[in-house]
Amino acid sequence: MSDEPTETADATEEGGAVVERERTEREFPSWERVRESELFVIAITTVALAVFPWLFARAPVISGVLQGYQDLATLIVIWGIFAMGFNLLLGYTGLLSFGHAAFWGGAAYAAGVFSTHVSSSPLLIILAGTAFAALLAWALGFVALRRGGIYFAILTLAFGQMAYYMALSPLSGITGGENGYTGVELAPLLGSFFLQYPVPGLDWLVGTWTYVLVGVVAVVCVAAANRILHSPYGMVFRAIRENDQRAEFVGLNVWRYKLMAFVISGTLAGVAGSLFTIYSAYVPVQSLYWTTSGEVVIMAVLGGVGSLFGPILGAGIYLYVENVISGVQQLTLPFTGPGEYVTLVQEPVVLLEGFGAYWHLILGLVFVAVIVLFPRGIWGLFEDAAGAVRRLGSDH
Amino acid sequence: MGPRRDPVDDRTKLYACERIPNEHGGEGKFTSRIESVRSGDGSPGRDCTDSEDDRKRLGGDGVLAEVLTVFINGLQQGAIYVLVAIGLSIILGTLKFVNFAHGALYLVGTYVGLLVTLEIQLTDGKLAEWGFTSIGLGWGFLAALVIVPIVVFAVGLLMERFVARPFYDRPDTDQILLTFGLAIVVQEVFKILFGGQSYNFARPGWASGPVDLPIIGAFPEWRLYVIGITAVLVAGVYALVEFTDFGLVVRAGTRDAEMVELLGIKLSRPYLMVFGVGAALAGVAGVVGGPLYAVNPNIGTEILVPAFLVVVIGGVGSITGAVLGGILLGETLAILVAVAPQWSQVGIYVLAAVVLLARPQGLLGSEEVTP
Amino acid sequence: MALLETHGLTKSFGGLVAVDDVDLEIERGESVAVIGPNGAGKSTFINLVTRMLDATAGDIEFKGESIASDDPHEVVQKGVSRSFQTASIFPELSVEENAQIAALAAEHGSFRFNFLRHRDNYGGVERLASRTLDAVDLLDQRGVTAEDLPYGDKRRLELGIALASDPDLLLMDEPTAGMSPEETADTVDLVERVKAEMGLTILLVEHDMEVVFDVADRIVVLHRGAVIAEGSPEAVQGDPDVQEAYLGGVEA
Repeated sequence: MSDEPTETADATEEGGAVVERERTEREFPSWERVRESELFVIAITTVALAVFPWLFARAPVISGVLQGYQDLATLIVIWGIFAMGFNLLLGYTGLLSFGHAAFWGGAAYAAGVFSTHVSSSPLLIILAGTAFAALLAWALGFVALRRGGIYFAILTLAFGQMAYYMALSPLSGITGGENGYTGVELAPLLGSFFLQYPVPGLDWLVGTWTYVLVGVVAVVCVAAANRILHSPYGMVFRAIRENDQRAEFVGLNVWRYKLMAFVISGTLAGVAGSLFTIYSAYVPVQSLYWTTSGEVVIMAVLGGVGSLFGPILGAGIYLYVENVISGVQQLTLPFTGPGEYVTLVQEPVVLLEGFGAYWHLILGLVFVAVIVLFPRGIWGLFEDAAGAVRRLGSDH
Repeated sequence: MGPRRDPVDDRTKLYACERIPNEHGGEGKFTSRIESVRSGDGSPGRDCTDSEDDRKRLGGDGVLAEVLTVFINGLQQGAIYVLVAIGLSIILGTLKFVNFAHGALYLVGTYVGLLVTLEIQLTDGKLAEWGFTSIGLGWGFLAALVIVPIVVFAVGLLMERFVARPFYDRPDTDQILLTFGLAIVVQEVFKILFGGQSYNFARPGWASGPVDLPIIGAFPEWRLYVIGITAVLVAGVYALVEFTDFGLVVRAGTRDAEMVELLGIKLSRPYLMVFGVGAALAGVAGVVGGPLYAVNPNIGTEILVPAFLVVVIGGVGSITGAVLGGILLGETLAILVAVAPQWSQVGIYVLAAVVLLARPQGLLGSEEVTP
Repeated sequence: MALLETHGLTKSFGGLVAVDDVDLEIERGESVAVIGPNGAGKSTFINLVTRMLDATAGDIEFKGESIASDDPHEVVQKGVSRSFQTASIFPELSVEENAQIAALAAEHGSFRFNFLRHRDNYGGVERLASRTLDAVDLLDQRGVTAEDLPYGDKRRLELGIALASDPDLLLMDEPTAGMSPEETADTVDLVERVKAEMGLTILLVEHDMEVVFDVADRIVVLHRGAVIAEGSPEAVQGDPDVQEAYLGGVEA
């Protein structure tokens, strides 16, 4: 963000004192500045994505406690891209879409059909799916943005559902209807690496080639999203979120910028949807159903809509709860019962029987709590905590 | 009961289907069977248990009969939409509040209606685990028709007071997110209590059979009741809004809440009423529509989307618009089900898109100030 | 040719005629104030000119060209900028970003495909923004989040946003509403100064007669949507129709 001082000729003349103070600050590049420089963001993302599957699925103790596994790690990164793209719209432009399943699922189907009939090269599949999602977003955005504000959520929901019913029935000849699309064909990556194979020498760290592909695409997406937020668009998007009437009355074509935000967001959802096809080699028709849109909404809000990375965290939490926590039969106090890494009491202290069945309800309640109490989400809580720690540090 | 058909076919015929109850039971007391056990998890569509034979048996002969049957089916389908959409529309128009949990009120209405009307056998869900394998009052349908609106009206008041009111000053997106979260919570609570499976909400004995109509021939009587009950309720609400002080405030509030406030009318009471009335209508829709579709925890969110379409088509805040939009939507569905069933679901969205492109404020909506 | 002309401009809401057949001409460099009792249609008139509302009848010409069917942002791009009655700012952005958004629109037009270029590459935008903030005395607070500003500063920021659009004609909807006498005096000075510096033409809607007499060269009096008097401040003050309208109206 460029709240950073800008030194112009006029500024130096007029605001002498201010500029003076800022100069002294500049001698030590502030933590904020470092953190926001693009290379830093890309580097951190790359390292985090490289270490994630190891930590989650293979690291001693941690992975055992988490009970993570490689496929879930891959899935989390894919949904992370989806949630991040979704949040460009919700968090930065202030538009709440309930129709993003259309781009995720649309891209997934397009990628699948492309793989059967045109080319099974993974990279081309991603391009095809993404391009389809971008075009679809353009068309859908054109209709959904006909009316402002509250109607947007309703209209995106409606036209997202329309895509679902299209795939379910009239287009079932292409999509496989109720049964989903089963004809996905995948060639080796770049003609030589089989996606489901482990990466030689690095399989302990990143696992399969699928994950490498997903991870590299994720880094590219984060870099692109980060750049967009620091382009004039980023500022205009936030201006629209803050006060779209004012933005129109400074001479910005708010409608077109909203459409662009929608298209960019839909495109990223399309990237994720295409990756999902590669990951699962199958496209279920539920990927177009509105619950998919609802899930990405929950992920983004849970993680935190005010930041680039919050929604990725939200995707991780959601999928973790859905896939791991939901299998937990009993909720027990930590460190009680056999099979814990540290066991204090042999007899488990059961807090809730049949705990796993409540996972969706619990997520719903947490979601409501986040909206009411912490609108900046879990990432926002982390930021506040980090800020408090840093303030403590600087006081001494 | 007809044979189970291929599921895709089931869904495309979603709204054409008709449940013929096997048992009629005694006076006002019925036992419901569990129709089918389904995951209920993200799988849309409703079960429909009639068969081609049933429908052939019901229908009369000739093109005119066919056309009239389709028309009345459309009216009946539209009636449910109208009941749900009116509340959505007046709450949106008067309070500027987007209620994604409006479908949850329909859900509550259906389940409460089911439990008041019948005694049901539970095999799944926490209630069954806790030993409530057979619950329900079994007081019959008319009792439900009285009790449910009162219960859901109260739920609506609570919702206004504790959910909507604290969020009137928050951005639209927060209102939507909150009510969306609430809808999920309500749905999950019902899923946990009653299990994910579908229940059969049997029709009342006095309206379960076919009735002989001129030209058409045999026609399911219950559908006519649905249309009739809806017509009475809509007329009542229309009179309320058109001819009472409460309605005056609602109508004025739709246009300019600030001005009404300036005139010294405190709006919190009427707002509460608007929410309550809207909720009660959705609850009644749940009772009236209950016997038409399988009852499961997903019905609330499933009715929400078409109800929103009705509001968009008819125009926000307009009761007449909601009626017009609902009937248009119902008829479109009924016609497509008869003519091109695979397009039936898509058709209603196309209709909404066309209306939106041609007349963004909806058919009977007033002009909107664009930023 | 006048900078702004309206011909028979009319707006009715249902049965109520808010602006009734108004013909107005504003010459380049003029300062015109529109006054009138509450509900006279002053704000509606500004909303019509800036295309926030669709006129029921009549035409609006800016620089000799009709803008009656333009979108609001197109009107701004042609050189008509406005401030709002309430401080309409971007609350969670910094003061500097508030000005930069308007400057961006002024320098780049209403829309561009530049979403992959870094914002730091746009020096012109930053210069225009800083210059404007300097003009409204907010340069020192440029790093402050806009919503944290005191009310008077928010109003000045709002004016700054309007100025950063680099307008020829500035429409102000009650720029001193809710201000203390000192803030009002400062605002009048500010308006006079930027008008001279930036060569602005000003159309002002205002309740405060002192402000009107300080700023305006010419006054237009609206009553029930129609122009009932027009002329120099002195001439309007003495006009019996005006006194009648005000005495008969809700407030002065």
